[in-house]
Amino acid sequence: MGFWSKKKTSTQKEAEPRADAKAKSAATSKDPLAGVRHIIAVASGKGGVGKSTVASNLAKTLQKRGFKVALLDADIYGPSLPTMLPCEPPSKMRDELVVPPEREGLAIVSAEMFSTKKAHIMRGPMAGNFVKQLLLAVDWGQRDYLIIDYPPGTGDIQLSLSQSTPLRGAIIVTSPQKVALADVKKACEFFRTVKVPMLGVVETMSWFECGSCSEKHFIFGRDGGTSIAKEFAIPLLGQIPLDSDITAAADAGQPVVASSKSLAAKYFDAIGEQVLAAIGKSDIEQRTSGLGAFSLKWQ
Amino acid sequence: MKEQLGVKEIWQVDKQTLGIVWTDSSENRYDVVALRKSCPCAVCVDETTGQRNQALMDDISDKVRPVTIQSTGQYAMTIAFSDGHGSGIFTFDYLKSLGSK
Repeated sequence: MGFWSKKKTSTQKEAEPRADAKAKSAATSKDPLAGVRHIIAVASGKGGVGKSTVASNLAKTLQKRGFKVALLDADIYGPSLPTMLPCEPPSKMRDELVVPPEREGLAIVSAEMFSTKKAHIMRGPMAGNFVKQLLLAVDWGQRDYLIIDYPPGTGDIQLSLSQSTPLRGAIIVTSPQKVALADVKKACEFFRTVKVPMLGVVETMSWFECGSCSEKHFIFGRDGGTSIAKEFAIPLLGQIPLDSDITAAADAGQPVVASSKSLAAKYFDAIGEQVLAAIGKSDIEQRTSGLGAFSLKWQ
Repeated sequence: MKEQLGVKEIWQVDKQTLGIVWTDSSENRYDVVALRKSCPCAVCVDETTGQRNQALMDDISDKVRPVTIQSTGQYAMTIAFSDGHGSGIFTFDYLKSLGSK
């Protein structure tokens, strides 16, 4: 998590206590996220654009490439992952942390697992603390990627998540129509404000091919994702057409990317590749720029 | 990706001074008592009027020191002070603006 600058700018400073790599590791020996290399947010200001579909398929495609992946469903009011990736609730604790349940090696944590209630009815501050707990009370272990499926909006939950831990980047999901773009722009402004680098845009529901003609039908308009990418100077990571395979797979509890037969799987695989490239690029930028997390004890 | 202000180095200069080197290579030194008196939280600054609560500020002892300084996400830091106050989120942009005053 984060890189510590060991560069000394003067000999005078060398004698001064500073938060260095050693102090950091000692201070955060219990940090449940210490073994997680990259935390990625999948977000959109708008609801219903396909965040969970993108998050679950991204998790799977990264896993297919041999990475160790975890997935956190932070949408406590309307969780989708329990349907898309059903998983038994956690049953073990280790060092006072919850051991996340795994499904085919993919660790999955969702608010739904910690409640017997039919719905979570709570105000903002409570919701913010609740997701913070989902993130920090779990023994994530060694993971290459932790993907957080954000809820729509730019409120308490999103702020809490962005303040709890340095995110390596955010993937912005949008469908092409104007009414979605308006809210998605707000989410982009949010990530700009909390200085989380946006890795790029995934456009969903981009077009439909009906099967009786080979023409693409742009049901929700064209190039909405491109316009967001241009406006915020971030890459367009990919476009995903409307495809009944995606929906059917999600409802069956197995992301479409897991089935090699489907054309939609190829779209998600390609997006996975783009995401890795974007992270690689932001890695280089991060190293040349700032610290990640830091903690300084005053003497 | 747009260049965003971050912390390159942060250290305790002396008993009362915090030093920060920013990612744009500029460097600032902060008097920690002045930082306490610049707390941007909703208790210290009225959220609607933007007015600082002067009565509260006058009560702050010159002996106040940070206990811990911790990053908050990657845009800010939270300072827990020895007087028990720690609700202020000092964004990097805010700190930078304080430093250039």
